Amino acid sequence: MKRYDCMKLLAARLKDELVILSLGASVDEWYNAAPHMREASLFQQQLGCVTPQAFGLAAGLPHRRIISLDTDGGMMFNLGILATLGNEQPKNLFTVVWDNECYQSIGGPPTHTASGRVDIAAIARGAGVEQAYTARTLEEFEAHCEAGLKADVPYIVVAKVAGTVQPDIKRKHSDGREDKYIFVRHVEATEGIVIMGPSEHN
Amino acid sequence: MKQSSVDAVIRGLKRAGVSIVCYLPDSLFKQLYPALDADPDIRTIRVTNEGEGAAICGGVFLSGKRAALIMENSGLRASVEPLARMGLGAGIPVVMLMSYRGELGENNWWAIPHGITMEPVLNALRIPYRIVREEDAIEQSIVDAYNWSYNAYYHSAIALGGEIVR
Repeated sequence: MKRYDCMKLLAARLKDELVILSLGASVDEWYNAAPHMREASLFQQQLGCVTPQAFGLAAGLPHRRIISLDTDGGMMFNLGILATLGNEQPKNLFTVVWDNECYQSIGGPPTHTASGRVDIAAIARGAGVEQAYTARTLEEFEAHCEAGLKADVPYIVVAKVAGTVQPDIKRKHSDGREDKYIFVRHVEATEGIVIMGPSEHN
Repeated sequence: MKQSSVDAVIRGLKRAGVSIVCYLPDSLFKQLYPALDADPDIRTIRVTNEGEGAAICGGVFLSGKRAALIMENSGLRASVEPLARMGLGAGIPVVMLMSYRGELGENNWWAIPHGITMEPVLNALRIPYRIVREEDAIEQSIVDAYNWSYNAYYHSAIALGGEIVR
C-alpha cells in the first residue's frame, strides 16, 4: 500500500476539516494529493508534536473535525499522547499514522515498528483509545477514513505503507513560519475569529 | 501556596483570556491544580510530560483560544525540543507558568538541578521571563507574558518563587 494512494482517498473526503501533518516526504505528497486542503493544512516539523498539536486544535475548536497525519517515528517519540487521548476522549480528532517502518527522510533506517513486534494500534487501545486499527489495504484504509471522520470518539488508523515516495511531484517551498501564517489566516477566515490581530499601533 | 496566591494566578489567567490549561502536577503548586480543575471557565488537560503539554498548547494557539502550560521548572527541560521547533521554526508561542524549584533556600538535593538549569535553558532558547516572588505581582506578570507572546509570537515564562510557593 502506497501512502500517496491513501492520501488521495482521504483527501477526496475532506472539505471543511483542518489537518496537521508531520515532517518528511509526506509533506510533498500531501501538498500534491490534497491541493484543495493547502490552506487548511499545517505542515509541521516537530517529531512527537503532530498529534498533540492536533489535539490542542481539536480542544480549541470542538465543533470542527481535526485530522492528524502522524508517522510511526513521530508517534513512537511521544507515546504519552495516546494516554492523554484515551483520558480526554476528544470527539473530533481523527489520527492517521503513516507506518512505513522506517525513518524515510534520512534514508530509511528502521523504526521500532520494523521488528514486527511493536504494534502502535495495540498500544493505542491499551492507552484507552478503543477505536484504533491497523490498515494494510486501500479498502481497509478507506473504510477507516469513513468511520474515523464521523466518529465521536478519538479514532486512530495505523496505515502500513511502503517506504517509497511518490515520484515526480511538486515540491512545497514554504517554511514553517509561512505555513503557520497561511494556516492561521485560514482558521481566522473560516471561523470568523482573530488569532493574530493588529498591534496597538501600526 | 496560599489561597490568595492561587486566586491571583487564576485572576491573571482569566484577564489574559486563558481558557485551557495543560499541566503536569508538582508539589509547589499543589493547591493550584485542584483549583484550576474546579474552575468552570478553565478546561484542564493533564499531560504525560511537559513537552507534550507544550505541543498541545501550540495547537490551542492555532485554534484562537489561549492556553497556559503550568508545571515545575524541571518541565522546562522536558519541553525544550517542542519549544525550540515550534517557537523558532514556526513562531507558535507557548506561555509557561512554572514553580521555581531549586532557588536559594531549596532543601531537597534532587531539586538543585532545576534551579541551576532554569535560567540558562530559558536564555538558550531566548525566552524572556520574569521571576515573581511577591504575590501582588502575580496577576499583572501573567497578563504581561501574554501581551508579549501575542505580539512576539514567541514563548514567554513566569516563574513563581520565594514565599509564594513555600
